[in-house]
Formats: sequence, structure tokens, C-alpha cells
Amino acid sequence: MVLLPLGAALPSCVSVAAYQKVYLNDEDMKLSSKIVETPETNFESYREGAGGANGGKVGGGCGCN
Amino acid sequence: MKKLLATLGIWSALAAPALAQTTPGTTQNPNRIDGYGAPVSPSVPVNRAADETTIDIIGGYYRQDGTHGAVEGGRGTEHLTDVPPAIIVNVPLDTVSRLTANVGADFYASASTDRIDFALSTPSAHDTRFHGDFGYSREHKYKGTIWGVGAGVSKEYDYFSVNGTGSFAKTSRDGNRQLSLAGHIFLDQVTLITPIELRTTPTRGKSEYGTDTRQTYNLTATYSQVLTKRLQAAISTELVSQNGLLSTPFHRVYFYDSTTPNPVTSVDAANFSSRVPTAPKTELLPRSRFKYPISLRLNYFATDVVQIRAFYRLYNDNFGITAHTAELELPVKVTPFFVLYPFYRYHTQTAAKYFAPFLQHSISDEFYTSDYDLSDFSANKVGLGLRYSPVYGISRFHVPGQNAAGQPRIMRLKSLDLRYAHYQRSTNLVANIVSFDLGFAL
Repeated sequence: MVLLPLGAALPSCVSVAAYQKVYLNDEDMKLSSKIVETPETNFESYREGAGGANGGKVGGGCGCN
Repeated sequence: MKKLLATLGIWSALAAPALAQTTPGTTQNPNRIDGYGAPVSPSVPVNRAADETTIDIIGGYYRQDGTHGAVEGGRGTEHLTDVPPAIIVNVPLDTVSRLTANVGADFYASASTDRIDFALSTPSAHDTRFHGDFGYSREHKYKGTIWGVGAGVSKEYDYFSVNGTGSFAKTSRDGNRQLSLAGHIFLDQVTLITPIELRTTPTRGKSEYGTDTRQTYNLTATYSQVLTKRLQAAISTELVSQNGLLSTPFHRVYFYDSTTPNPVTSVDAANFSSRVPTAPKTELLPRSRFKYPISLRLNYFATDVVQIRAFYRLYNDNFGITAHTAELELPVKVTPFFVLYPFYRYHTQTAAKYFAPFLQHSISDEFYTSDYDLSDFSANKVGLGLRYSPVYGISRFHVPGQNAAGQPRIMRLKSLDLRYAHYQRSTNLVANIVSFDLGFAL
């Protein structure tokens, strides 16, 4: 619930033009996990009862025992 | 001339990622990693051009140890090692469509599953899981939309899974906002391997165990927004509905008030926990589960040297688990092409209402588990990663075939990611993992 007002407020932010995105286009500014994190995210989805909303595994095969 | 070429090279290297990411529709589906399911949208790393075929070779080594193995009712070893190699290939078919394949395996050895049969070597002590996921996406740059479909399969000794997926993403004209939606369906079949003392015919083979099914329906919605020239955020929710067999058939549960004698009496005390006088039952959980996590990512380009990557997730489900997860990563640019990134992750969760430790369940409980993955605990993860991605790549070599101009094809090793993490859980579980990603372009 705390995050919903923030989400509603986001569209009102300033517009950043393409030529101003030199910082945003940096590899480490991507809004996703890195590919190299995949094995870690997968083992966390097995070892913790809570999961999802982070790009990790939520179903399918196991390999977890 | 050399100076001119060098200057052009540097400019093109700086410009390429900017062009690739600011054109409407070309941002990748945020919050998505290519580690499971079918790929749902183009996902080309910044250090490689959008029209290149990219290949990522992932590998590593994972090892964990603990003292609360669910196979022995919440005690006993949790020793597990896993080697999870995988290859992700991303092929542009033309200017709008792209194929992605993610093929890999898990080679794992599990001491805990030895305890299914009270033996040091069983079929499940060393096992291999194979998985393959394939996706097709189509991007309309003018409309700023990306459509994607995919399918995948996963197979191991006691588990078979197929999945299908569809996705849609819409990016604003200025490239500052994106809404992405994705749906996944996983259809699983589980072989019902029960602990040896609970089988009606202890010597029967795999084909006689019987099977059960599980279905998982997953809807992901992510909204990302550029906030300033140095700050961007994404809010994501991933609603998950699971039906079918949600318990693990070879997990034992022992009860403090059971009167049924344990059929297994002889025990090798040197290797295994001693048995209790009363018989266990196999873990039993409801056949329906609904998860509703929500997360926020914030990335901030603090200085030319340091960035801040933050993640927070609030999780709830109808098993009674509430969890908070926070991650912080600080990439430090040692040079423009060499990045060190220390990271820290904290996770805390409450126990599922069906969980109780060894010998603390009552025989009258409707559902029961002693799996410590569903217990209340906190976990800390700390580690260090490095990425090396020079402008002209690390190395290049010839591969069979010719390009469109009739010249020999050249594969370039563009980047190397290496990462180490140490994970420690308050329930006496410790894990270490080393992983790497070799990024190639063709």
C-alpha cells in the first residue's frame, strides 16, 4: 500500500530527452537483475518461502533438494 | 589517422547504448532475468549492439550446509552442491523480431535426499535437471510496443515441467515510461517418491510410485519510470496462483502425540540421526496457494564513479508468510570498463501457519510441514562482483561460416562478469556461491 501512491506519482516526473540519458543508459542503471545473478536468485527462491517480483523463479522444475 | 579512429571508436561506443535504449520500445522488460521460463522480450546487454547475435555462457558452483533437513523431519543435513551451466542465445531475425533460447542444466548432489531410503547412494543423491526455454518477440518501434511468446520444458528424475508465456510492453514516446505485462503458465508433474518406511512396497521402481500434478499461473505487471537524468525506478507485482501438489512427498514429519510404531528400527547412528519410536507421515500442505508480492527498484547514478542500485520487496501469501527483502548494490567504476560492485541483501520472513519443528506437530493437525524454508528466519547475503567489458572486447576468434559480406565470421568475447556471494540464514544454513557470465557477440 505504501508503494501505490508512489506509483501514481511517477508519471508526473520530468521528461528526460534522449540526449540527456548518458547516465541512465549505463549498464548498471538497468532496471533488472544481471544475468550473472540468475543462479543466486534461483537458489533463494528454493531456500525462502517468499519469492516473486524480483525476476526469480516462481514455478516449474525443481533441482532444489 | 590512429587518433581519429580511436576517437571515433570511443564516440561510437558511448553512442551505441544511448541509441539502443532511448528509441521508444527498445528498453527491455524491467525486472526480468533470463534464468527461468521462456524469455518474453528482447534483452540485449548495453555493451552489445541491438542487431548482434548475443551469447551468454553462465556457470558457477553452489554449496550449502545446514542442520534442518526436511527429509528427516526438520533435522539432519542440508548438504547440497549444484553446478548450473546455461547458455542464453539472443538472435535478431530482422529489424523487428528476435529469437531467444535459454538451455542449461543443474548437476546437483544432495546428501539430504539420501535419507529418503536411509542409504548413502540412491537415485536422487546425484541428479541432473535439464531445462530449455525458447521465446519469440516482435518489436514495433514506432508504436513503442513489444509482443512476446515463448515455451519451455524442464526435466529431472522426479519432476517434469512445461511452461508457456506471453508478454506485452508499451513504452512512451519519449522513452521515459514503460508498462509491461507478462503471463506464465507452468504445468508440472511430480513423481510421488515417499520415504522408504511409508511405501507399501519398498522395492518398487519409479514407474510404480504414481504421480501428481501442479499448475502455476503467474501474472507480472511492471511500471518503470525515468525520474531525473540520474534516477529511475520500477514498481512490480507478480501475482502467483498455484494449485495441485504443493508439498514434497519425501519430506517426513514427526508428531509428539503419535502412537503408531516406527517401522524403521535399525539405524546407522554414525551417519544418520537416530530414529524416533513413532512413525512419521509425509508432509501435507494445502493444494492451493496464492502469492502477492510487490517490489520497488531504484537506480541512482550518484557520481561518475559510484552508482546505487536499491531493491525492496514486500511479500504476502495465504500460507501466512509475510516477508521483507532489501538489497543494496554499489557499482564502483574503477576504470570506465572495469566495475567492482559490493552488494548486501537482507531477508526476513514469518513462518507458514503449517510449519512446526521436529516432533512439535500434533497428529490432529490438518496440514503439517517441518521444512525450514517455510519457517520464520532472517537471512543475510553479502558479496562482491566484478565486470570487465572493454570497448573493443576482451578477445575475438573465428567461428565457422561467413557473414553477409562473404567474410569469415568473428565471435567477440565482449564482457566478463564474476560474482561471489555468502549467504547465512538464522536457522543454521550457510551457503556460498560463485557464478560467472561470459558475454559474446557475433
